Formats: sequence, C-alpha cells, structure tokens
Amino acid sequence: MTEFLQADRVATAKATLERLRANMAKAILGKDDVIEQLLVCLAAGGHVLIEDLPGVGKTTLAYALARSTDCAFSRIQFTSDLLPSDVTGVAIYDETTREFVFKPGPVFANIVLADEINRSPPKTQSALLEVMDRAKVTVDGQSHAVGSPFMVFATQNPVDYEGTFPLPESQMDRFLMRLRMGYPQHGDEIEILRTARSGYDAIALSAVASRDEVAAIQALVPQVFVEDSVLDYILRIVAATRTEVEFKAGASVRGGLALRTAAQARALVKGRDFVLPDDVAELVPAVLAHRLALARQSGDALEERRSVGAHLKRILSYLAPPA
Amino acid sequence: MESKPPQLSLDEMHQLRWLLGGALMALSVATVFYLDINSEVMAGLALSGILAALAWPRLPARVHPWVHRLAFPLILAAFAVDIRLTGQLLPAIVRLDLMLLLYRGISYRARRDDLQIVVLGLFLIVVAGVLTVSLLFAAQILVFTACALCLLMVVTIVDSNEGGTAPKLAVRGVVPPWAAHAGWRRLAARLWEVSDWRLLASAAGLFAGVVVVSGLLFLAIPRFQLENSLFLERFVTRRAMTGFNDSIKFGDITEITQDDSIAFNVDLSDPAQAPAQPYWRMVVLDEYHNGGFKLSAALRSELGRERTSANIQSGLSLGRGAPTWTFYVETGVSRYLPILGRFEALRFREAQNFRFSRDLSVVALRDEPASMTAYRVEGMAADSAELRDNFFSARWRSRGPVGPPLQLGIDVSPADKAVLSRLDAELGKTAGAQAFAERAIAWLRAKHRYSLSPHIPDGPGDPLVKWMASGESGHCELFAGALVLLARTEGIPARVVTGFKGGTWNAYSGNYTIRNSDAHAWAEIWDARTASWLREDPLAVAAAADATKEKGDAAIAGLMDRSWSARLNSLRVFWYRRIVNFDQQSQADTLNAVKDATGNSGKWLREAIAGALGRVKLWCRGPWDGPRLGQVGAALAFCAALVWSVATGRWRLVRVGRSGRVDPVRREAGRWLVRVEGPEPLVLDLQRIRFGPAPTWPSPADVFQRARRAAASSRRPGRASSRSTS
Repeated sequence: MTEFLQADRVATAKATLERLRANMAKAILGKDDVIEQLLVCLAAGGHVLIEDLPGVGKTTLAYALARSTDCAFSRIQFTSDLLPSDVTGVAIYDETTREFVFKPGPVFANIVLADEINRSPPKTQSALLEVMDRAKVTVDGQSHAVGSPFMVFATQNPVDYEGTFPLPESQMDRFLMRLRMGYPQHGDEIEILRTARSGYDAIALSAVASRDEVAAIQALVPQVFVEDSVLDYILRIVAATRTEVEFKAGASVRGGLALRTAAQARALVKGRDFVLPDDVAELVPAVLAHRLALARQSGDALEERRSVGAHLKRILSYLAPPA
Repeated sequence: MESKPPQLSLDEMHQLRWLLGGALMALSVATVFYLDINSEVMAGLALSGILAALAWPRLPARVHPWVHRLAFPLILAAFAVDIRLTGQLLPAIVRLDLMLLLYRGISYRARRDDLQIVVLGLFLIVVAGVLTVSLLFAAQILVFTACALCLLMVVTIVDSNEGGTAPKLAVRGVVPPWAAHAGWRRLAARLWEVSDWRLLASAAGLFAGVVVVSGLLFLAIPRFQLENSLFLERFVTRRAMTGFNDSIKFGDITEITQDDSIAFNVDLSDPAQAPAQPYWRMVVLDEYHNGGFKLSAALRSELGRERTSANIQSGLSLGRGAPTWTFYVETGVSRYLPILGRFEALRFREAQNFRFSRDLSVVALRDEPASMTAYRVEGMAADSAELRDNFFSARWRSRGPVGPPLQLGIDVSPADKAVLSRLDAELGKTAGAQAFAERAIAWLRAKHRYSLSPHIPDGPGDPLVKWMASGESGHCELFAGALVLLARTEGIPARVVTGFKGGTWNAYSGNYTIRNSDAHAWAEIWDARTASWLREDPLAVAAAADATKEKGDAAIAGLMDRSWSARLNSLRVFWYRRIVNFDQQSQADTLNAVKDATGNSGKWLREAIAGALGRVKLWCRGPWDGPRLGQVGAALAFCAALVWSVATGRWRLVRVGRSGRVDPVRREAGRWLVRVEGPEPLVLDLQRIRFGPAPTWPSPADVFQRARRAAASSRRPGRASSRSTS
C-alpha cells in the first residue's frame, strides 16, 4: 500500500457515515452497535447475514439503510418453490425483435433483502453465489452487472429449522458478517410501541447520502493502512481457529481477508486512516463465527452459536494483541 | 486501548509442555548410564524413544493401539520376570522406571501423566545420585529441579487456560492440534519474543535464592549419612572394571593407561610434605604362571580375615607431625585402595567390609565400590622406597626346604629356566639386593625399549622369558615381571606391585589428581640386610629417581596442572571435600572459611575505595593545564548527554527492537500507549505512531514528551489539580 489517505477524505467519509448512522437510528431504536456493524459492512462492500427471530426489525434495518443511501431496494421472499430465475432474472423470447431479451430479476437492485434465505433449496441459494461475489449475473452466457453499490442482506431464523435448507459453508463464507439484532431495551421498545406505524413501508426516512458517496467510501477502505503487527495479529487469530480442537475446520483465507477488510472499514467508520488491533478484535465474532463449525455438532443452533462465540472469545483472550 | 504483553498461545504452551516433559525424561534416563546395573541397552532404547517423540511430536499418534492396551500388563510382566531372573530389586525397579518413562515418552500425556514423569524421573536422579555421589549429580538435580518447576508451571497455566476442566487426554491415534503444527524453531522464536527480561531475571534470582538457601541450610544442619539410611548400595553389586584385580595378564595395566579419566584425587593436609613422584600401591602379586602374575594363596591368607569397621589402626607409630591424606577414589578403579605405604590409621566415612595387611601395606574392600570411596589416612610413609615386613623377615630367617612360599617360585619349563639362568649369568655376580636390582635394571633398559605396543616373539615357551631373551620393546608390566624373574633366578625374593605412579597437582584446588593413564606396575625386591622390600621401578630414569626425594613446593612445581580440565576437576574436589566427605569438623571449617572470606571481602572493598579516593585526590592536586581541562569538559559533556538521552527516552529510539520486526519508534509508542490514559489527542497521536503510516506521523519526540508529562501528572494527581485550580 503506497498511497496514504488524506485527512480531509477521511473526515468526509466519517461525516457521511455519521449522517447515515444518525438517520438510521431514527428508525432502528436502541441498536447503535448493529447499525455501526452494518455501516462497516456497507463500507467494506460486503454482504450481511442477519440471524434472529421474526419481528425484531431485520427488514426494517435493511430498508432504513436503503432509504438513507438513496439506494434501490428489493426484497425476495425465499420459499421452497422459488426458482433461481426468480432471483436472477430470465431471458424471454421477444416476438417482435425475434431475440431473447433479458428480464432482470429482483437481484438487480442496490440493497437486496433475501428474506428467510434458508427456506429455499440449495439450487436457488446458489443463484446468489455469483452475484454476491462479482456483482454480476450471467444468463445464457451474457453477464449483467447489478447496481452499485450492491449489498445482499440475507435473513434466517435460527430457531425454526423445520423444512429449511441450511446454507452451505461455501455460501456462508461469502457473507462478510453475521449479525444478531436481539430484542430492544425496555425504553426503546416502549418508544416503538408509541409509534403508530407498522411495516417498513411506513418508514419515512430521507436520503442523507448518495450512492456515489457510498461508492467513494467503499473505494477508500482498501487504502486504510494496516501495520504489519496488526496483519500478524489477524493471521494469528485465523491460525488459532485452524488449530483449535473444538472447531471442525478453521477460518479460510477468505475469512482472513474479510477480517482485514472489515477492520479497515471500521477504522474508517471511526475516522481513522489506520487500523487498530481493537478494530480487529471487535469484529472477530461477527466476521468469523459463521465461518466456523463445531467439531461436535449440537442439535441446538442457538447453543452452537453461543459455543462458537465463547471459543472465539477464549482465543482472543490468550492471543495478545500487538503492543 | 487495553494492551497486553505478548503471550504464548495455548498450542504453544502445549508444545512447551511436551518439550519440558521430554527433556525431563531424557535427563533422568541419562543418569542410568552412570549406574553399573546392566541397563545400558534399555536406557539407550528409552532415551532414543523419548528423543524421537520429542523431535517428532506426531510420532505418538502412529503408535499402534495394541501397544496402549498391552503396555501396562507387559511392563508388569517384564518387571516380575526381571526380579525372578536377576534377584536384584533395585536394578529391576530402575528398569521398571525406564519402561514406564519410555511408554510415557511415546504417548500423549494428560496432566496426571506429567506429574507421573516428574516422580519417575526424580526417582532415577536420586538413585543415581546416591549410588554415584558424583558432581554430576549436583548439576543434574539442579537442571532437573529447574525443568520440573517450569513443567509444573506450564501444566498449571495450560490447565487454567482450559477453564479448570479436567485436561483431555488426546485421542489415541489422532494428532492433537498443537502437535500437528509443532515446530521447535518457531517455538524458540516465540519464546524469545514473549520472554520478558524482568520475568527471566526474577525467575533466575528466585532459583539462585533457592540454591543459596539450600546451600546455607546444608552448611548449617548436622550431618547424617544418607547412604546408610537408604541402604541403596546393598541392592547393587558391581563388577570390576579395570585391571587392578587379584591377577593381571600382561597388557592389562597398559590398557588402563589408555583411559585419561580421573582415577582418584588426594587431599594433603600439609602440601609441604607432598612428594614429587609418589607410588600409589594397590595390589601385590607374587605368583607367576604363563604370562601373568596373581595374588598367591599365601599372600591372600596374609591379608587376614575379613573385618567390618570404619577405622583401621595399624599399630604403627611413624612419628608426630605426619600429614593427613584424604583419598577420593572414583568408581570402577578397584576394590584395592591406593596408599603410599605403611600408615598409622585409616578412617572410612562409614563402616566397611575389608581385609588389611600391615606388612603388605594393602587394603582390600570386600566388594567393588558402587560409588566414590573416600577415606582418610594418617601418619603415612609417603616418600620411602622401603617397606619393612617383619612377618616375611621372620619367615625368611627361618626358611627351610618345607614351609610357606618365599616369593622365589618360577613356574616355567626347564628350558625356560635354563634361559633365565643364562640371562642371569649375563648380569654377573653382585653383592646385595640393591646392587643386583641396579644392574638388572641397567641390563633390561639396555636390551629393551619402552613401548605401549610391545611385541612378544612367537614360538613355544613362556612369553615373558621369550621377551626377556629377545630385544623387543615392552611396557611396564613386562619390565617389572622380567626384573622379578631375574631376581628370583638369582635367589632373591621379588614380587610385582600394581597401582599408579605420579599424578598432577591441581593448581586450583591444591590436591593430587591421579588419572587412569598414570597406572603403572613395578617390582619389589627383598633386601635381607634391612629386612624390607625395596621398590625397584625398571622404567624410572635416574633423574626421576632423585626427584622422588623432593618434597613440598619444589615437588609440586613440577606437577602443577593449570589446564581447563584441572579447573573443572577442582569443582569435583570441592564437591567431595564439602559435600561428600563432610563431617562436623569440616563443617565448622567451612563456616569459618565463609566468615573469613566475608571479612576479607569487606576489608578489600574498604581498601579499594580508600585507594581510589587517594588516586582521585592526587589527580586533583596535579596541574590543571589545557589537555586536562579538555578531558574534564569532554567527560562532563558525555555524562550530560547520557543523562539527557536517558531522561528524555531518546535512547530507546535508537535501540533496535528485540524481535527485529517492529520498528523501535512504534514499539516505544506502544509502551506509552500502555501507560498513558489520556488526553484523547495524545492517545490518537500515539496510536498513529504505533499503528499508522509512517509518513503521517507527528513528531515522535514531541509526542513522547507529551506522553511523559501526562504520565507524570497522572502520578501526581494532587499537585496537578492544585496547579490547575490556582
């Protein structure tokens, strides 16, 4: 990394992200930490998987982000009979031109909410693989770029697994983060109850940042400086997950890259042009937990999530950050 | 930011545990090589297995599961068979210990197994220490203690890191994660990286403190005989390792001289009495048969019946003022103890089973000692080449055709006897034993050269007679044997004596050191005129014969050894003097020596300070010219620069980082980040210097200066607040 960020560009990015945070906080009460992590994910250009019970604000969160960034929002409700073409789009024969014309699917938006993604069979889930990786859809040998910025916002219910298709590890690895919303605090929930609205369509949020501004922030993230000892710290964490006896397999190289990118994005969110070890440590559960599976599988998904989190916390406790 | 010093990961701690455990076992097993209990093969096998598993931690996963299933039944069965076949309990237990250590060495260990190897290893170390009583034992127990303490500490840390749950024994056949990625070079680098000099210094200080306190306790507490309390020696029977036995074949002594290890050390209470060329007698051999001398039944009976005592009173009185000689004989030398000649009293550290003949001046223990043998001899005739023998004198005077042998027998064929007579005739007639010996020695030296690779002519007949008749070179045994045969042919009683000749004087510990390479054989010829045995060494040159009469400093000067091996041996002698052969008197002597040394050190320090002050005063009174003023100015400037750089912390900026990976300025910023809690701009600047891109750094010196002020003000909250309110 030879170029260094100029202070004014960092300050501009931070101001934009602060506006986004404040704007989203109007719609999502008491979830500042989730909003911050979502902004990190947005800045890093990653995709997010939100696991939580129905009705805790997952869709609202995605919609609030789309409205705040003036992005096109689209929602796909994943069901067992959903076809890949229902996601990506389909080529239809046009009688007038005597050619196949591509009809874009709902994935052609900036922020795509893949609701209850594990309700669809793997074939349909896989339809998202290419677009999540390259922001492109290939149909009949032709590639079509989706919107920019592009972010997949998938949700799944960790409790009700009846008739679901768990996401394969290859697809889990493509999500930058896995977040949990959790129930709001008592005071925040009282405030939610006071408002008359129901459903995300009623959310009245004005855009506080343009798509170009978001794209500019995403372009800044790779330029955030990561000192060698911090890179070493990231690598030690990743290596520790590989040798941890409790995990079936450790984090992949992509996992390590994701942790680095997320840490760079967090530094930018915090208004810094360099990464601190704290940035890394804070993001380890969100970035790595969904990429790891226990050696001894538990029947209870929530218990399994907690165990993975506890093991990561233990790894962080004995891996000393660079000083 | 909460910052922690670098630490080892859990896997690295597991690797360290494996390493320490392996080292502990290897150290313990190695001690068995010093024990003569026929366990060298098993010890070698155990050591190889342990070292292999240490080098390749994946190896235990390849051990077949049946080994684990059958290990303990087989080990117990082997122990039972061992006891049955050998009938020796202690060696069998040692071999059982070796088998258990081998099994533990080649299998992954849980916490209880680590504790088990500490106990098993300690047993081997203690047994080896008690049986050998060597200096090596002191070194081994020190290293073992350090290793065991580190191992237990690592086991405890690993245990606490695993949440206090019962440690898991790795699944057999499966390589545990820590072993899958184990690399000793990487671990060494990590250890170097995480090691903190303060921790190392405090650990070393603590260990040194334990050693010093143990030493002081040892000096202060009353003595007791550990060996007598444990009876360990009685469980071990040794075989003779050298040629100093009841019989020798030609070449046995020469073979011993190939070994340069130390045979024994001798302390002398009065170095002024030290002879230049001592002859350390051990065995008297009088019966000759076909190329070998042996102790005859007659002399054996002269040694008397076996006695058990800690003291030998010879009943002689050699006059007052005779020095005391303390011998420390290493294991494997002989059951015959080296002495210089007749003595008044000999005292062992504890009761021994022995035979003793005053007239022969021979002391023989019943068994080959399993450990170092120490004894003190008082009133010893150290420089006399004559040995009075009243018993033989009486027998010689009353000799007749029938009676006990008179050490005149020559068991050779008539043809060989004729050869001997011819050779004897070549010598011519002499009057007296001394004159005969001188002439015979001159004849032998003229005809034969000394060589460690002798050649005995082929053909029938007695080998010694054939050698005498030839002009071949020979070693000390051939020369001594030839002299004896010539004397007997002449009708003069004679015999061969084996032992050691000479030695060196250790310049550091002030004692004789005799090595196996000093092994020697010579002859004793009966002088009826003085009724004594004359020591006749055919290989002693005339000048050296004169040198034997030298004593004290002149004698020591010729034997002085200042080599590194002498320096090392002085430690061994210190160990023997102060640890092994320690009685109440020497304990008091040591305490007095410590007291004197302390007093002398204080006196020396005071004198040194007074001398230095005197030189400074003298220098100050000298003329203050230009060069002198320049020197003073330069010295002051250097001191000021040093103080300034230390005070401002700049010296750390130029210091190269220990790991060589982190920039020293970044490392310095990291140190301040740990110490400084605010204000925020300062923390941000420190963070930028530590983790940010270097071109965007603020001035590090300024930032560190601010950090220093912030740290100082946080240490003085009262002063800082009063200043701000005023």
